[in-house]
Amino acid sequence: MIKMKNKKAFEIGFNLIFGIVVGAVIIFFAIYATTKLIKTGEEIQSTELGKELGIILNPIETAFETGKSDKIKFPEETRLFNDCKLSGTFGAQEISTASKSLNGEWQKPSFPSSFRNKYLFSSSVLEGKTYFIFSKPFEMPFKVASLIYIWDQNQAYCFIDAPREIESDVEDLNLNNIFTENCTKESKKVCFSTSGCDIDVSLDLGRIKGSLKRKNQERVYFEDSALLYAAIFSSPEIYECQLRRLMKRTSELSSLYYSKTIFLSQKRCNSNLEADLSVFSNKTFSFNNSLQLRDINLYAEEIRRKNDGLSCKLF
Amino acid sequence: MMVYHASYFKKAQIKIQQMAFVLVALLIFFSIVALFYFSIAGKGLKESASSLREAEAKELIRKLASSPEFSFTASTCANCIDLDKALLMKYRESYKEFFNLEFLQIEKIYPDSKKIECDKLNYPDCTTITIIDSNEFGSPKEAFVSLCRWEQEKSGYFKCELGRIYASGKGID
Repeated sequence: MIKMKNKKAFEIGFNLIFGIVVGAVIIFFAIYATTKLIKTGEEIQSTELGKELGIILNPIETAFETGKSDKIKFPEETRLFNDCKLSGTFGAQEISTASKSLNGEWQKPSFPSSFRNKYLFSSSVLEGKTYFIFSKPFEMPFKVASLIYIWDQNQAYCFIDAPREIESDVEDLNLNNIFTENCTKESKKVCFSTSGCDIDVSLDLGRIKGSLKRKNQERVYFEDSALLYAAIFSSPEIYECQLRRLMKRTSELSSLYYSKTIFLSQKRCNSNLEADLSVFSNKTFSFNNSLQLRDINLYAEEIRRKNDGLSCKLF
Repeated sequence: MMVYHASYFKKAQIKIQQMAFVLVALLIFFSIVALFYFSIAGKGLKESASSLREAEAKELIRKLASSPEFSFTASTCANCIDLDKALLMKYRESYKEFFNLEFLQIEKIYPDSKKIECDKLNYPDCTTITIIDSNEFGSPKEAFVSLCRWEQEKSGYFKCELGRIYASGKGID
């Protein structure tokens, strides 16, 4: 007897194929949408963090104080991106952040938060959980802004042979990770009287003005201690950019004081500073780089001297 | 003559139709879920933007009196606004975007008098200086300040009066 073999193949019905294809498409879109949503959520969080950081920097700005210091602690390792833009009347300070995603990789920088009235001096990217901050007023000759300096827990500075004024700033403000003695090996050496360090500072006859040079980078110039710290804590690109922004604001303020002195001269408060302020406003408006600071500072000192002699002070 | 009738309503075709209906229903379901999610997420985002805006205005208002554009620097005086400078700031378009504020106003509250907006002609016999104004702004934050100005009477002196500053912040840029 010949036994018939069952030749029936495994039958996949149309329904099953259709179900698998549609199911796969749905699962693919679900995974894609979830990933996108998580990414967007993380970006929103980082953008909010950048804005929050800008807001919490407000109390650190100085009023009549000569300096203020504080620190910021993030709940997790965070990258901070400091960017300076020159567009517009005042330019802009852009702050963005990035944190680690679930797989431990750094996310892309968030959408930057923009502030026209802030001046942050730091390297362009900072990384860590704890950030140290201090601020000093910048005057030229009137107060122009509060300069904010930031460095992270991984950065340390060693000030070698610093002038007494700088040493007392470090002591009085209790600046973390900045040493004037017993420096750590990892700290960046900032030399005030010798050369060959990470940062070499050349001072004019013991005054807090002169120039500063980092290894393999452009030389930058400063005219007071606020700008000296700015040059130490930031890269030359950020320093020059923020300085140009500061000069834009100085120009606008000079123009404001010019309007004020004309307005008050009708009220028996004559300063005779109209011509000086007008020239000063034009000079600061056309400021290009820190090499021009010395010339501008001479004008500023002249305006300060004249204002100090007034009974009805302009500023 | 023979006539053949084709049967179009086969079982498979009905199943395809069923499947298509299920797919459309699924699509509608997921769209409703997505709409629901985005409306909640959007509301949360709006809330967080508005709380950031409020926080910024609150922090800024504490510092505004000491900002170089407003501070009275002829003598050391914390929380003193130079009213002469503030009046001139009103006419400077370049500062409209500077503070990231939707609304900024300074008001003289003592001695009490009828509310009059200041300009160069009626100053100082007026009460408010609106530096930044817009049609839409949230509830402004306020702080008490001293308003100091040059007074030409007698042989001239700096006169300070009690005032209030109002500010309302902008959202995330």
